[in-house]
Amino acid sequence: MRGFFTNDYNVLTARVFLGVLLVVVSADKIADPAAFAQSIQDYRIISGTATMVLATILPWLELLCGLALIAGVLVQASALLSGALLIVFTMAVISALVRGLDISCGCFTQDPAVSRIGWLKIGENVVLIAVAAFLYSSQNIRFSLDQYIRGQQSGS
Amino acid sequence: MTRSHRALREAMVIAACAVVLGFTSTAIRNKGVFAPATALSSVPQGKRPDTPTMIHLPEARNLFESGEGLFIDARHAFEFDRGHIRGAVSLPLNEFDKRAGFVDSLPRNKTLITYCDGVECNSSIGLASRLRDAGFPGVRIFFGGWNEWQAQNLPTAAGAP
Repeated sequence: MRGFFTNDYNVLTARVFLGVLLVVVSADKIADPAAFAQSIQDYRIISGTATMVLATILPWLELLCGLALIAGVLVQASALLSGALLIVFTMAVISALVRGLDISCGCFTQDPAVSRIGWLKIGENVVLIAVAAFLYSSQNIRFSLDQYIRGQQSGS
Repeated sequence: MTRSHRALREAMVIAACAVVLGFTSTAIRNKGVFAPATALSSVPQGKRPDTPTMIHLPEARNLFESGEGLFIDARHAFEFDRGHIRGAVSLPLNEFDKRAGFVDSLPRNKTLITYCDGVECNSSIGLASRLRDAGFPGVRIFFGGWNEWQAQNLPTAAGAP
């Protein structure tokens, strides 16, 4: 089992999977922060200017973490941030479900007619949190920019 | 420095970069918090001093029964399809800019009354502010919204606008 968690290809797959996913989900939000702010507001946890500030920052956080994971640089920090974001998103979804809100997730697209929240969304997020936790604990830097940088440093 | 301390410090650097990039990109594109005032008001600001008047169920009911009011549903279109105040028209807050023609076609001889789910939502307030800014004076906000209307078994309808 230990081999699974340290296998070069498993770590690479997890990095690229989570990284690409984060980049993809950030695109729509970066393009239209006002629509993302509306999605955040639909959860009825925060409102007003705070939603707009979050809608301004969160997509870029997702994009930076995604790019860092794909490139293999600052992997542990990116996995930590991605995991933290996913935990917060999951708690928001649970709280909306408990309150009986039938709203759009606002995860991949800001179109309110698709991607309704549900218990399946929580299942998806739990898998993604597990991937983030795996990357956080992994110290494997094969096929990464980190490996290249360290190679350069030790070579010089 | 331990591995987790280093990760935490690097995470803070990434977060700081996200803040800088987020605000810079929205400032350059005039979006989000840097959007012109009219677009910014699409995010409801419930405590603005010039928020249109809020009304409660009895007044909303009077306007409905007298035919003097036109109810405008600020919720998403699919929620409107599922059920709405009878005679209401759908104008989701986030579609306001896209539907300028529809906004212009709204009657000016009626009292426009916006509503959303109920007291816990803000889109009716945002929509009322946008309508007021678009030149409709006397807009009202039915604060109890769809939940209160439905709970009182008042006339409803379902289906697309």
